[in-house]
Amino acid sequence: MTGATAATGRKVAQMDRSAVETRVLGEIIEDVRDVIGEEYAFDMEITMETSFGDDLELESIEFVALADRLRERYGDAVDFVGFLATRDVDQVINMRVGEVVEFVVDSQPVPATTGSA
Amino acid sequence: MSEIRANDVRLHVQRIGPRGPAIPTVVMLHGMVMDNMSSFYLSLGTYLSDIGCDVICYDLRGHGRSERTPEGYALADSLADLNGLLDALGVDHPVHIIGNSYGATMAIAYGCEFGERTASLTLIEPPFLLEGLGEEMARSLTQILAAMSDDEVELWLHQAAGRVIGRATRSARRLLQETTIATDMLSMTPFSVEALGRLSMPVLAIYGENSDIIGQAETLTSVVPDTTLVVLEHHTHMVLREATGYLRELLRWWLLGDRTTPRPVYVPSATKRFETPQWITDMVPPPNLNTPRTVTTAESSHR
Repeated sequence: MTGATAATGRKVAQMDRSAVETRVLGEIIEDVRDVIGEEYAFDMEITMETSFGDDLELESIEFVALADRLRERYGDAVDFVGFLATRDVDQVINMRVGEVVEFVVDSQPVPATTGSA
Repeated sequence: MSEIRANDVRLHVQRIGPRGPAIPTVVMLHGMVMDNMSSFYLSLGTYLSDIGCDVICYDLRGHGRSERTPEGYALADSLADLNGLLDALGVDHPVHIIGNSYGATMAIAYGCEFGERTASLTLIEPPFLLEGLGEEMARSLTQILAAMSDDEVELWLHQAAGRVIGRATRSARRLLQETTIATDMLSMTPFSVEALGRLSMPVLAIYGENSDIIGQAETLTSVVPDTTLVVLEHHTHMVLREATGYLRELLRWWLLGDRTTPRPVYVPSATKRFETPQWITDMVPPPNLNTPRTVTTAESSHR
């Protein structure tokens, strides 16, 4: 592979990743709003930087319900329980939405990027 | 959401981790009113399932995302709910039970009544009195209702939670005010010394050295035969939250390791020390209901 094609490959990979991130973020936002079930969650803008605790005021039991939905949505490919096992309660609640999105994206099989251009 | 109907109640259940004949099944029982399964799920639940346990967490009746029935909060109801849940899940082998606070009291009662279904008990800060247990459990609940205005109930709940949490607080209030939980607790009969003496499964009991109920540890070890007592320096009744890292290692040793080997050594943090706030120790019903409770005492508990 020449330097130029490698760079193109990386660029395509970044584009693909960003598209996947956008999709996963949308899915997680939908689940978060559903789990909270109150109007404020639908009114506020949720981004990668939004924190579950400070911004969304997500309670820990709601996080459990969210984890349940994500396990259902993404199946065994995303080891969400293993992801949570490395954190304690405060670390979970203080996470940003983006950390979960990135974990889901990293766990999912990535389509062949360099050859797709 | 994972919902199961057991003993005629809708229970919110999360079962995580591998399953199989050689895999220990662990059931976690959380504390009363200001608690739900998340305290276990996020501390020991995901960890133990990740290292190879079949973990069952559920919200007790009236708590978390389980159904808040108007009545049915006596200890016997809690045990029947658990049996119904295990039956519904098809768990017919003995389970390891881990209980925190009231959940630990419930675990002891379950071990006494259903020893054949119990592989071991882990008791985190169990309120353990041979006399007056019901009064002790109900004390904090009834005094809240009887002696405080709605605003004070709200304040107490905020403090008990350690932070301002609106939806959980509202839910706890409804549990206290719209169900029979407080009177059901009062009716709790004391443990029978004979029944406790017959407990045949291994018991791991964990207390915080600075807990308001540390005095009850000695009674427990003197009555329950096969007990390993672990007292954690600089910790309180909230030890599950305070010492999660050590409890993970301890439970790994207890459930998956070789119990004849020495248990993991607890090294207290040199900088973090937990003390029981004075307002918890002082929390007795005021002699005169018109006596205003001082907010300053409560406020100082945050430090």
